[in-house]
Amino acid sequence: MLNIKNLHVAVGGEEIIKGLDLEVGPGELHAIMGPNGSGKSTLGYALAGRDGYEVTDGSVEFDGRDLLELEVEQRAAAGLFLALQYPVEIPGVNNAYFLRAALNAQRKARGEEEVDSMAFLKTVREQLKALKMDEALLKRAVNEGFSGGEKKRNEIVQLAVLQPKLAILDETDSGLDIDALKLVAEGVNRLRDENRSFIVITHYQRLLEYLVPDRVHVLSDGRIAESGDRSLAQRLEREGYAFLDTAEA
Amino acid sequence: MSALIEKLLPQVAGEDDGSFGALRRKAQKVLMKHGFPHRKTENWKYLPLGLLEKRTFSDAVPDRAATPSLPTYPFEAGVIHFHNGRLDPDSCRLPDGVSLTGMLPADIDVSALDDTGPADAFAWLNLARFDQGWKLRVDGRPDEPLVVATTCDDEFDVAVHPRLCVELAEGATLTLIETQGGPGAGLINGVLDLRLGARSSLTHVIERCFAETALIQRTAARVSDAAAYRAFILDGGGPLTRQDLVAELVSPGATAGISGVATLSGRALVDYHTAIEHRVGGTESHENFRILADDQSTGVFNGRIHILRGADDSHSQMNTGNLLLSENARINTKPELEIHAEDVTASHGATIGQLDDDARFYLRSRGLSEAQAIALLKYGFAAAVFDTMASGAVRDWLTDRLKEHL
Repeated sequence: MLNIKNLHVAVGGEEIIKGLDLEVGPGELHAIMGPNGSGKSTLGYALAGRDGYEVTDGSVEFDGRDLLELEVEQRAAAGLFLALQYPVEIPGVNNAYFLRAALNAQRKARGEEEVDSMAFLKTVREQLKALKMDEALLKRAVNEGFSGGEKKRNEIVQLAVLQPKLAILDETDSGLDIDALKLVAEGVNRLRDENRSFIVITHYQRLLEYLVPDRVHVLSDGRIAESGDRSLAQRLEREGYAFLDTAEA
Repeated sequence: MSALIEKLLPQVAGEDDGSFGALRRKAQKVLMKHGFPHRKTENWKYLPLGLLEKRTFSDAVPDRAATPSLPTYPFEAGVIHFHNGRLDPDSCRLPDGVSLTGMLPADIDVSALDDTGPADAFAWLNLARFDQGWKLRVDGRPDEPLVVATTCDDEFDVAVHPRLCVELAEGATLTLIETQGGPGAGLINGVLDLRLGARSSLTHVIERCFAETALIQRTAARVSDAAAYRAFILDGGGPLTRQDLVAELVSPGATAGISGVATLSGRALVDYHTAIEHRVGGTESHENFRILADDQSTGVFNGRIHILRGADDSHSQMNTGNLLLSENARINTKPELEIHAEDVTASHGATIGQLDDDARFYLRSRGLSEAQAIALLKYGFAAAVFDTMASGAVRDWLTDRLKEHL
């Protein structure tokens, strides 16, 4: 699904990702943990193609294509989704209108027909209900006036409607209370299948109690310093990142 | 005397028209004394009136070759149609409860015009030169809106000075929709007086976009006891568009709202000067104006809120937001609050910015193209201004027009 080799990414001329290798197979969920400033969000943005995140070396193959050749929206249409740590407010743009426009833009890019509006609304309403979100949010501007938790859940609604092949969740758990965290995790679990992959960037092991990862990676100073199964996350919870210093020393 | 005076005031009436003679003579006197505004006239400093000096205006309104075409609207409405500056009686249809008559001298009130300098020169010019003034009287609550359509054709190369007065009787309600556009290179120097009787309500929509026509428009609303004036403006500008919009709240309970969007591209220019005058207490106003300036366009917004001495317990809110979409576009925005009363609330805010990179990335990361993302962000920035308009066919039409403007 995703094959990253020797990825180097610079932001504002400063190298943040310094030779990262990562392979995510179909249907796998990988967790990326690591201290602040280790490059976790930079990895998400670089994969999504954000301006200012310059890939200076390495390669990224996504579903058989060279991801780095694609524009941001082409990556989305190819099946890549980045749930932002801080979802952006778009005043004046109706949530339902935006989501439908996005879905249709992706479908058009893939040569598919536009979605039927009734079927679209049905899907969105089901997702809102599952995430315990008020249907009135559909008529409100995208993320405007949403609480922090609502914004994060809205990302999951988008994820469920857009049905990407690979979803990168950038600290989707941050700022969520325990009930909202469970809802978000359930939303993600409903979407897991043998073809859809996830990269979950998180600081806390708590989320991984609900989203059971196939692999856990620790990012440190722009590289993957350690990989393992879910017990690695539990160890980090107990011991923190101090062992990285020991390992590097 | 300036070239503009010679061009626009070749020979003033005065002798030709007994009924308006005294008013026209006064107008001419003010004009001859103070001339037209120039770069040093504070409220006109951003408007390049030199553009008018460069143009040649014919003496006569072009003959009507054929029935001028009237824009179509996706709702039932009465219509008054001015083409090349003249009323086209054939295409007029008035809703029940609305009458149209020729204007009388008593219908003209010049007390609010400045005769001590050039600031109101174009309003005086209108008075000196207007051909035929019209008065609309509204009694009751017509079921359908009334469109006042101003069109012109390629042959339109004159300076015209249309003058209209709209009077709402006590308790009357009207949705008045001005649509203005056309290709001619003339000048429309219009005056619109709106008089709102007690407990009346006027929703005033303006939708305009000119290719070559210069427009200088003064609109003044006098809002009396518990009456409500609401303006919703969508302006695509033109080579030179100047709009003065004055709302005077003269009795307790009077309210005014101005919601406007200017969408500018090419070399379009709009210059909006709005003034809300709280003359007595217990009055309220709100104003929200957005300018989106692309290419080499220029947008000017000067919003003034004036709460006079004794107008205690008045409330006013003004916000102006501006979006620069090109390095060569220009926006000048200035909110002004002048408060002489007690126990008032008055606030204002002004921003000038560019499209948000985070928002643009966010939309693209969901699959929208760069162009779609920009269009959606522009629409989102502008459309909220019309949220205060009652929902229905007119609002749907206006937001559709906004999408076309963008």
